[in-house]
Amino acid sequence: MTGSAAARPADAAPQSAEWQRLHPATLALAVVRLGPRTLNFLPALAAIGIAGKWVYVLPAFGAFLLISLVTAWIAWARFRFLVGANEIVIESGILSRQHRTIPFDRIQDVSIEQGLIARALGIAKVGFETGAGGDKKDEARLDAIGLDAAQALRTTIRAHRGDAVPAAAEPLGREGDAKTKTPATEDRVLFVMSPGRLLVAGLFNFSLAALAVVAAGMQLFDDLLPFDFNIFNPLDWFDLAERYGFEQWIVAHRWVAGVGALLSLLFIGFASGVLMMVLANWDFRLTREPRALRRTRGLTTRTDVALPVRRVQAAILVTGWLKKRFDWHELRLQSLASDGEKEKDHQVVPFGHLYEIDPVLAEIAIHRPDASQPWEHSHRIIAAGGLFGALSAAAGGAIAMMLGQPLGGLGIAAAALIAAASLFSARFHSWTDLPGMVAIRRGWLKPKTTLLPYASVQSIDLKTDFILRPLGLATLVFGVPGGSSLGSHEIPAIPLAAAQALRARILAAGTRA
Amino acid sequence: MTDTVAARPVDPFDAHALNAAEGLDPVDPAFRHVLRISALFNMLPIAIGATLLDMFVVREVGGPYGLLSVLAWLFALFAIIAFPARRAQRWGFKIGEGQLRVARGWLFRTDTIVPFVRVQHIDVGQGPIERWFGLSHLVVHTSGTHNSTVTLPGLRADLAAAMREEIRRHIQTDFA
Repeated sequence: MTGSAAARPADAAPQSAEWQRLHPATLALAVVRLGPRTLNFLPALAAIGIAGKWVYVLPAFGAFLLISLVTAWIAWARFRFLVGANEIVIESGILSRQHRTIPFDRIQDVSIEQGLIARALGIAKVGFETGAGGDKKDEARLDAIGLDAAQALRTTIRAHRGDAVPAAAEPLGREGDAKTKTPATEDRVLFVMSPGRLLVAGLFNFSLAALAVVAAGMQLFDDLLPFDFNIFNPLDWFDLAERYGFEQWIVAHRWVAGVGALLSLLFIGFASGVLMMVLANWDFRLTREPRALRRTRGLTTRTDVALPVRRVQAAILVTGWLKKRFDWHELRLQSLASDGEKEKDHQVVPFGHLYEIDPVLAEIAIHRPDASQPWEHSHRIIAAGGLFGALSAAAGGAIAMMLGQPLGGLGIAAAALIAAASLFSARFHSWTDLPGMVAIRRGWLKPKTTLLPYASVQSIDLKTDFILRPLGLATLVFGVPGGSSLGSHEIPAIPLAAAQALRARILAAGTRA
Repeated sequence: MTDTVAARPVDPFDAHALNAAEGLDPVDPAFRHVLRISALFNMLPIAIGATLLDMFVVREVGGPYGLLSVLAWLFALFAIIAFPARRAQRWGFKIGEGQLRVARGWLFRTDTIVPFVRVQHIDVGQGPIERWFGLSHLVVHTSGTHNSTVTLPGLRADLAAAMREEIRRHIQTDFA
C-alpha cells in the first residue's frame, strides 16, 4: 500500500502518489460471479440445441465464457484509483470513462465488507460514505482491494479527518461530555454479542419465514434422502400415523400426530431464528472510536461499518411484547448514511438489556426517559383508520355471504380482529417532552420508542383533517434526515394547543442551534 | 360536497377567514387561473374519453345512453369552474422570524414549517401557464426524508425571487 503511505504526510505532493489497481483476486471473484450468470445463458444454449445445431453448443458456451472473462479483465484493467494527499481519485469505465474525485473532508466514513470468498482470498470491498443522499448504487466503492490495504486506507482517511475537523465547532452537549470523560484516541468496546447471547436472541427471533424455504428444499431433496421420512415435515407425521396401521390407536390418540407436527414446526422456527441471528451477528462488536461508533459483525459476510456520532439523528428502541418482559431490547440509530443496501437505519445493539443500551445512548448524548416520566397519550380516535378498514372488510364479507359465498364469513371474522387490534393498539400511542428531545412510543406487539432530538428536526408538519379538527386535535409529522425502516416520525392526534406549543419549542431550539 | 363538514371553527366559504385565522398570507389571486387551466387540461381528456365510451360501448350494449357523458361533463365543469378558486384560497404562507410556513388544503390540511437554517437549497420554477400570469413557484429542499421538498405555488415572480434571496441569506450548511 505505497499510495496511502506516501499520502500520510499532509504536505506530500499528490504526484508522489501512484495510480493503483484493484486486487488481482478481484478477477477470481469475477469468475465466481460468472457461475450464476451462466444460468441466464442456458436457455439460449438449449434453444441452439433444440434447433438441432448441437455442434455449436460447446463453442457458443466457450465464446460466452471468453467474452465474460475478457470483459471482466478489461473492466479491471480500466479501473484505477489514486490516493492523494487530500482526496481519492477513481477512474473507471470501459468505453465511457468516469473520473471521480472525493475529498477526504467529504468522506464520512469508509465501510469494509467481506463475503465468504473474499475472506478466503483476503480481499475486501471498500465503500466510501459521503453522506450524499440518493442512490446507493451511486456510492463510490473499490471492489475489491486487499484487506490490509483497505484498513490502511481507512486509517489514512480517518487520520486526515482527525487533523482537519477539530477546528469546526462541535454541537454543544452532543459530544462534549463524552469527549472529556475519555481520551479521544482510545477505542472502547461498548457492546459485544457472546455466543450465549446469540443463542438467546435467536430463540426470541422465532420465525416461520424459513419454513417455506425448508419445504421447498425438502421437495427438491426428497428423492435423495435415504429414508422416506422427514422429521421436519409435519405431513410426514400424519403419514407415519397412517402407515403403521395404528388406526384405532391413532383415531383415539390423534394428538400424537398433532404434537409431532407442532414440535417440528417449533423446531424449524427456533432453528431458523438462531441461524439467522448467528449468521448476521456472529462476533458482534460495537466500539467507540474518536468520532464514530464502529460495528463489526457477521459470520459469512463480515461487515465493518462506522457511524459518525455527529451524523446520528435519532435513536429507536424496538422490543417485542414477550421480549419486553425479559428486558430485551434492540437499539437502532437513524443516521444520514444508510446501513448497507437493505437497511435504512443502523442496528447498533441487536439484543441487549436496557442497562447495556444506556451507555451506548450516552455516547450519542441521548438519554432515555426514566420510569417516572409522565407520558401523554394520543387520542383514541387514531383507531378510526383501522376501524374503517374493519368496516370495509365486514361489508365485503357480508356482501359475499349474501351472494352465497360462505367464505365471506372469514371477512367478518377478520374485521372483528382488525377492529379489536386497532382499538387495543391505539392505547399504546404516547409521547413525552424531554429536555431538548421528544420521545414517541407506539405499538403493542412490537413496541417502539423513538428518541428524537430537537436539533434533528428539519421541518414540522401540523396536520388536521375533517375528523381531527372537530375534536380539536392535530398530528405532528417531523422531517428528519436519513430514512428509517420503521416509518416516519409522527405524533398522531394530540390536542391542537399541545401540538402548537411543542412545534414552537422545537423550532425555537432549532433556530438557536 | 367536500365542504359540508359539521362543527367548523372557520367558515370555509369565506375567502380569507381561514388564512387570517392562522395568521397566514394568501397566495396571489391569479393562482386560481393557473389551477383552472391545469384542471382544464386534466379534465377535458377524461370527459371526452367518457363521452366516447358512452357513444361506442354503452349505446352498443343498450345501457343508459347519455348518462355517463352528462355526469362526466358536469363533473368536469365543476372541477374547472368552481374548485380552483377554493383550492387557491386554501393555500397560505408566511415568511419571517427565520422560518417559512406553508399551509394547504382544507379537508386534509397540512401546515408545514421549515426553518431557514434547515434549507439545503431553493428552486424558483415557472411553468408555461404560470408564466402567462406572471407567477412562480418556490421549492425549498430540506435534508429530511419526510418533506424533502416543500413547494409553495402562486407567488408573483418578483416576490418569489425576493423570498429566495431572503432564505438564501440564512442558509448555512452544517456538514463538516
